[in-house]
Amino acid sequence: MSSAVLSLYDVQTSVPFTVASLPDIGLLGSLGLRVGTRIKVENRYALGGPVLLKVEDAFAVAIGKDIATQISVCETARG
Amino acid sequence: MSGYEIKPDEEVLKKPNKILLIGNPNVGKSIFFTELTGIHAISSNYAGTTVNFMEGTLSLGGEDYTLIDVPGTYSLNPTSEAETVAIRFLESGGKAVICVLDASNLERNLQLALELRRYKIPIVYTLNLVDVAKRQGVAVNAQLLAAELSAPVVETVAVKRVGLDALRQTLEDMLEGSAPLHQPCGNCPGCGRGGAEEIWESAKEITARVSSRGEAEPSFADKLSESMMRPMPGIPIALLVIGLVIAVVVGLGELLRGYLLEPLVDEVIVPFFRRIFTTVLPEGVVQDIMIGEFGVFVISFEWILALILPYVFLFYVVFTLLEDTGYLPRISVLFDNVMRKLGVQGGSLMYMLMGYGCAAPAIIGSRAATSRKERIVITAAICFAVPCISQSGALISLLAGYAWWMLPAMILFSFALFVAVTLVAGKLVKGQVDPLLIEVPNLLVPNPKSYFRKLLTRMKHFLKDAEVPMMIAILIAAILAESGLLRLLAVHAQPLVSGWLGLPADAVVALILGIVRREMSVAPLLALDLSALQAFVGGVVSLMYLPCLSVFAILAKEFHIRIALAITLSTIVLALFTGGVINQIGQLFA
Repeated sequence: MSSAVLSLYDVQTSVPFTVASLPDIGLLGSLGLRVGTRIKVENRYALGGPVLLKVEDAFAVAIGKDIATQISVCETARG
Repeated sequence: MSGYEIKPDEEVLKKPNKILLIGNPNVGKSIFFTELTGIHAISSNYAGTTVNFMEGTLSLGGEDYTLIDVPGTYSLNPTSEAETVAIRFLESGGKAVICVLDASNLERNLQLALELRRYKIPIVYTLNLVDVAKRQGVAVNAQLLAAELSAPVVETVAVKRVGLDALRQTLEDMLEGSAPLHQPCGNCPGCGRGGAEEIWESAKEITARVSSRGEAEPSFADKLSESMMRPMPGIPIALLVIGLVIAVVVGLGELLRGYLLEPLVDEVIVPFFRRIFTTVLPEGVVQDIMIGEFGVFVISFEWILALILPYVFLFYVVFTLLEDTGYLPRISVLFDNVMRKLGVQGGSLMYMLMGYGCAAPAIIGSRAATSRKERIVITAAICFAVPCISQSGALISLLAGYAWWMLPAMILFSFALFVAVTLVAGKLVKGQVDPLLIEVPNLLVPNPKSYFRKLLTRMKHFLKDAEVPMMIAILIAAILAESGLLRLLAVHAQPLVSGWLGLPADAVVALILGIVRREMSVAPLLALDLSALQAFVGGVVSLMYLPCLSVFAILAKEFHIRIALAITLSTIVLALFTGGVINQIGQLFA
């Protein structure tokens, strides 16, 4: 079942998502974020602050708003 | 400036006996470097501490090799300065590569591990942080990994020195040719031939084959980290931490000064030198310059050891703790929104905070910033509005003699100045600032040994960098005074120093010595018996006055001599202007 594609900046916290598309920024890939990577938003900071992600349940990455809004994710099928 | 020297790459690149130490940021490379060479590299629990590289000698089986601590990189695509440096080293060849892998984050680390094989240099992998991985429920089978990589893999916990002998032995065997070498087949992704996608797939598959993940109870550090990162209570905690740092430095510093260091200097050190000089030198000008009331061997110890050192020491006690626990990048994340409003991003804050220690490593460290605009704004804020700890110590000592609110007022003023400078520089400098994008490391309990070693290194640097120039500066001041030149200068500077700033004419010494080092723009004021308003004006001028000579050299080197000159001139003008305005307004109420 395919699910809706959402912006990483808007998704609910603590819910697993999979990266569907992301901007062409070298460091994103180097940090381990690619299409298909499993992520969870742990915190979102008000007033244009970043989102804090847990990537593959292994490590934390903070992504500024202007990049986060360009990343789209879809809900990970729960099984 | 020692310890922050930028070495020319070319000579090092040509050395034949190179062993390269490579890995992701924050996997403990610098600890390997220290343990293997005995040279202390300043490392921290966040990405990008080693922006340049360190080199040292590694002796293996009677042979000397040059071990190079290459800046941490996530990959070998030349997207940042650190990666470019790493690629340049790999292309220059070497006897071997030590690739440090983070066992708790194997998949991402393996990408770099696989990319490295493209360069056909024999590689030893170390599987570091196995203790952290275990706590997180991750188990990695080193034998399987070695088979997958067709290269030796050594398990290590570098901070506890576990596995380092095994690493030395493996390296030695490999360099002597007694260990089997990996033969690249030439075209599979495992040999680094494939594109990024293939390497990523390959890293994923290998990780799945060699590691297993069990359930792990979140540790106390994990839970603490979790609440520190939630805006509530994370932001109040961060403000509390910053407040505590100031309270510890100011409060404990005063105790340390009053009860330990002042008595030590006044009753032990100065009398010791007085006995020596009064026997060796005849009474007269020379003896006065050495050991008189304002003599070199009196004032330099009083100022540096008694009035400044306690604050420097306590600042590094707490700041090093914040660095090693990994708290600084958390501050960057929590305040990214505020920094964004100021025209930069949260990551910039880390370098600016470093500047409260010393401007030199902070400005060099800002190389890791991804845009030129960000670097310039960081540098401007540090040069105009961030006092280094040595200067802050002198300012605290100066203001301590007056009403309690003087110091908070100065802190508020410096904070407002910081916001204003960042805003203005952000508006003036053309270009874009990239949004925040950083890894937030695990919160760690610092290893006591590396913590104390780092603290010791910093204190040694401070004493070496401060005491000798201070003595020279005081000697210059004494010669100026004795030769009558000071009188002449004071007369010419009178309209500015006394008329505009409202300070005694002798305060011109502070303006002259302040060119050499920042704390010297404050220290001479301590001896002048100033009124409260004069002390505050003097403090403001010093706060904004030009950065020290070593910072000037770094600005010229990192940017351009024109930028160094522009910053120097505008800090002087702005400092004198603002100080004067405060004096003129203050006079109205006095």
